Amino acid sequence: MTPLGPNRADVPAPASAFGAAVPLLALLVFGVTLPLFGGGYWGVIATRACVYWVLVSGLNLVVGFAGQIAIGWVALLTLGAYTTSVLAAGNVMVALPPYLALAIAAVLGAIFGLIVGLPALRLRTFYFAITTLGFATIVTQVALAWQSVTGGGVGVPGPVLPEPFASQWGFYYFCFGLAAICTWMTANIAASRFGRALTAIRDAEVAAEASGIAKPKLLGTVFLFAGAVAAIAGGLFASLQSYITPDAFTLDLSVLFFIAILIGGRSSILGPLLGTVLLTVLPEFAAPLVAWSTFLYAVLLLIIVLAIPGGIAEMLDFENRRPLESDRAIVPRPDLVGRLLDAASEAGPLTLEQVALSFGGVRAIDGLDLEIRPGQVHGLIGPNGSGKTTTLNVISGYYVPQRGAVRLNGAALAPLAREARAHRRIARTFQTPRIVGCATVLENVMIGGTIDGCGTFVESLLSLPRHRRDETMLRTTAMLALASVGLERLAVVRADRLQHAELRFIEIARALMLRPKFLLLDEPAAGLSAEEIARLATLLLAIARAGTGVLLVEHHPDLIFDICDQVTVLNLGKTLAAGTPREIRSHREVVNAYLGG
Amino acid sequence: MPISAADPLLIVTGLASGYGKIRVLAGVNLKVHAGEVVALLGPNGAGKTTLLRAVSGLLPRQGSVHFAGQDLAGFGPRETVKAGLAHVVEGHRVFTQLSVVDNLMLSAYDLPRRERSARAEEVLALFPEIAVKRHERTAWLSGGQQQILAVAQELIRRPRLLMLDEPSAGLSPVLVDRVLDVVQRLREAGTAVLLVEQLIEKALGVADRVYALARGSIVLESRTSEADLPQLLEQAYMATPARHA
Amino acid sequence: MITSIVLSGTAMGCIYALIAVTYNVMFSASRVFSFTAGTLGMLGGVLGSLFIARMGMPLVPGFLLVLVGGALIGIVTEIVAVRPVLRSLDQHLYVLSTLALALMIQQFTAIEWSTEPLPFPRLFDMPRVEFDQQYWLPMLACASVIAGLELLYHYTLIGHAFVAIAEDNYAARALGLPERRLRMTSFALAGVIGALAGFAGGEMLLAFFANAPMLTFYGFVPVALGGMGNNRGAVVAGLLLGLFQQSANFLVGGIFASVAVFTVFIIVLLARPNGLVGPSMQRRV
Repeated sequence: MTPLGPNRADVPAPASAFGAAVPLLALLVFGVTLPLFGGGYWGVIATRACVYWVLVSGLNLVVGFAGQIAIGWVALLTLGAYTTSVLAAGNVMVALPPYLALAIAAVLGAIFGLIVGLPALRLRTFYFAITTLGFATIVTQVALAWQSVTGGGVGVPGPVLPEPFASQWGFYYFCFGLAAICTWMTANIAASRFGRALTAIRDAEVAAEASGIAKPKLLGTVFLFAGAVAAIAGGLFASLQSYITPDAFTLDLSVLFFIAILIGGRSSILGPLLGTVLLTVLPEFAAPLVAWSTFLYAVLLLIIVLAIPGGIAEMLDFENRRPLESDRAIVPRPDLVGRLLDAASEAGPLTLEQVALSFGGVRAIDGLDLEIRPGQVHGLIGPNGSGKTTTLNVISGYYVPQRGAVRLNGAALAPLAREARAHRRIARTFQTPRIVGCATVLENVMIGGTIDGCGTFVESLLSLPRHRRDETMLRTTAMLALASVGLERLAVVRADRLQHAELRFIEIARALMLRPKFLLLDEPAAGLSAEEIARLATLLLAIARAGTGVLLVEHHPDLIFDICDQVTVLNLGKTLAAGTPREIRSHREVVNAYLGG
Repeated sequence: MPISAADPLLIVTGLASGYGKIRVLAGVNLKVHAGEVVALLGPNGAGKTTLLRAVSGLLPRQGSVHFAGQDLAGFGPRETVKAGLAHVVEGHRVFTQLSVVDNLMLSAYDLPRRERSARAEEVLALFPEIAVKRHERTAWLSGGQQQILAVAQELIRRPRLLMLDEPSAGLSPVLVDRVLDVVQRLREAGTAVLLVEQLIEKALGVADRVYALARGSIVLESRTSEADLPQLLEQAYMATPARHA
Repeated sequence: MITSIVLSGTAMGCIYALIAVTYNVMFSASRVFSFTAGTLGMLGGVLGSLFIARMGMPLVPGFLLVLVGGALIGIVTEIVAVRPVLRSLDQHLYVLSTLALALMIQQFTAIEWSTEPLPFPRLFDMPRVEFDQQYWLPMLACASVIAGLELLYHYTLIGHAFVAIAEDNYAARALGLPERRLRMTSFALAGVIGALAGFAGGEMLLAFFANAPMLTFYGFVPVALGGMGNNRGAVVAGLLLGLFQQSANFLVGGIFASVAVFTVFIIVLLARPNGLVGPSMQRRV
């Protein structure tokens, strides 16, 4: 590594690139050559696996990445199957060409996917799961009742694709092609800022908010995509079955999709793909077991949940079984901080004016004035219950002050707009580190820069140039941030293998990705050794000298008195004293309040 | 095996504990003798609450805890209380949906019914201010009364040592004195007390000895009769670790 | 006609309310919702038909055995699907573990018992009247359970212990209450209530494995609308649901009735995610 920091050659390639590429290529070759050695029977099974995977690849983003328990997604399959079949058969209007019917089904699927998924933004996990089950039942019942269109219990014939896809193997290649495209597209998303943002929403929601990730927009986009591909899968399913009736769309099928993702492992493409293939093929190997197949799926799910929550993906993760060196030291590089931060920032101060906030009858903050200037470290100390963390949460937008205002450069900050803070370049860390355990250290840091990407979801889906530029930019910046906090050697390690102190520094690196004008730190020294605290101090000083205003909520007197330019002491929500560390240190009342007396 | 008055009732050796990956306590040693009141002081974040939780078994721990000659290895809160070591947790938490008497009966869950009522009456006799409200839901009690009830709940088990976690938190000065009055009476009755407190002066007023905890380990141990104790405490809190009096 | 709607609506409402109470009792003990609540209802009917109709046991022993079966399934739920998950960091795993267990039981029943609905025996040898036993049995069961729970929670020590654990699990543990044993007992109690619901409603619902997903959903609606852990709210919401569903059935027919119920449910839930009444007690922060 050069003295100036990592150069391009040292930036690690995307974690999933080599690891997953080999098995995926193998599957590709296997799939393409299947007709050479497999008979017609296996062709049907393989086609079915491809059709299921088209649906599961989209649902994977919803369930595996975003963590939304959408159990009833078979509703979209039903919708797509009937839409395509009815339009192609000409029950309602003039018979449309099958491709057009599929396209229309996709659009309808997208819209319906959004409808089914949106309650997730408002409901608790279990409640949302139940509503998706309700949707699945309703759709099937509508199919049964709407006899004029759907043929009721009698059903409708599925669409027949034109040559060369009408034959069995022709149709197989069509489905295989779509499955391959879906794999490629969702793998692109997984390796994009959208994929990382989804995982952040799932595992570290407050950190995602603090990084500016807007949950409704992102989830909405993913539901659209998952609905569309599910509907396409439905059309293909109808074609495969040749004839569909409402009881082809059972709860069992929905459960199969869902379990395939969980067996495969979350935040993985390869895992759920293997899971889908496994669950499609398994009943065929043991004919008497067909009746028991759903039972076995459920047993598998239970075992996975209790024993290997990471699923197949975790079992295949050999990279992260390698032991880490045991005596790791965190050695920040304060000289690199200047390169990372925008030194020429003409920001005004961040001010709190007479802010008051009560919870029930308790005055958490009682008329607080605070001014954080760029380039300075401002300490905020006080006994438990004095309102330190509440103040920080008011600035971050978690609470609305009942009186007073929070201003940046004179302009008031909108309360409760937590994601907007990132756009105003206000970054923060948390009392307990909020990290995505199953992602690598580098990916965790890259989450911090999500809002600086320019490419859209579709551009990432298709791996267009702007997406690739975003990724390179984010990767390089993240490596620089990691180097400045001293953790670049652990870039490709899974974050949940790291020690507590390292997680704290990762949070700071993530915050630095925003090139923040203001950095709010919530007890960053808790759990650190004396040496680590000293290193943290040099790092924070460097950040401040690079132009950032630092608000440091802390207990540790060493950190406060060593590096703060200004200190405010809170007690019972009011300012007890404010001034330089030396002034505070000798203030009798402060010593008593801070020590407790 | 009889314990002589000189042997400590509670012996904590090399105690380490924390929350998941966050290690809060690192090698704490302390002793409490029968019938004495020991204050545990320290700045926020030092680990005082964690220490009490680790001793009573609410948190997993490394290191050893011996009480009345018994090794409490592997004991959870239930077994610890049975052994005679009671813990009044922070925040005067009582069950607001139940009455005062029902709260007390719950603490005597393992005892036979007649014994339960008898002990509840015994404890209520000590605390007239909650005795008058015995059938009221505890949601209607003041903070101070709830704190006294919380102490009464643990006293029903007739512990030999009572650990109190910041009993004064959130209470007005009058109520704080009332609660510390209770500590005084306990000492007179022969129950040992380990008192975690934020209010240094009050704590020193009622205690025989004091420990100071900072950054996860004991940084000071002293009798409260020491003349320059406040200065020693301040130095202990502000200094870098490994400064022992 | 109206009488028929009111009777069947109230009866079904009582069954839904009992399943909701099953959810609530499990929730109060563990802060977790279990997919096995609806499955317990289904088992009440299937086991009742198995013991009394197929195996020919007399009413009382058969009934008691069904309740024992329910208690056992409740305990199994706690040990297998809830306890391991409570220990882990990812609390949401309970959705998956209880779903898996519920599915296993449902599929096992479908294969070993029947995929078709089988008749449930007539419990009392009385002629059919308008206010028939198939209607008043669920109502009796519901009233008994509600009364019983009130007595339990207000007048018994173990009932107080349940209330304590539901309000403040940490303080209960610190006090030395046998938390694990109490949780298992709660789940056993929930199992009994769920099985009772299915047994009392057996004649209306028949012994059918697919009652499980139906009860899972319709039994949860009163929980969501009445407030988590709030049994009184659940009963009111359950009765309203039953009446609404039966009226809709009569007015617009079965399938559109389901759509109507579901739509109303989703709209209400989105407007008030905490239910119409709110949770039974504010948890101490």
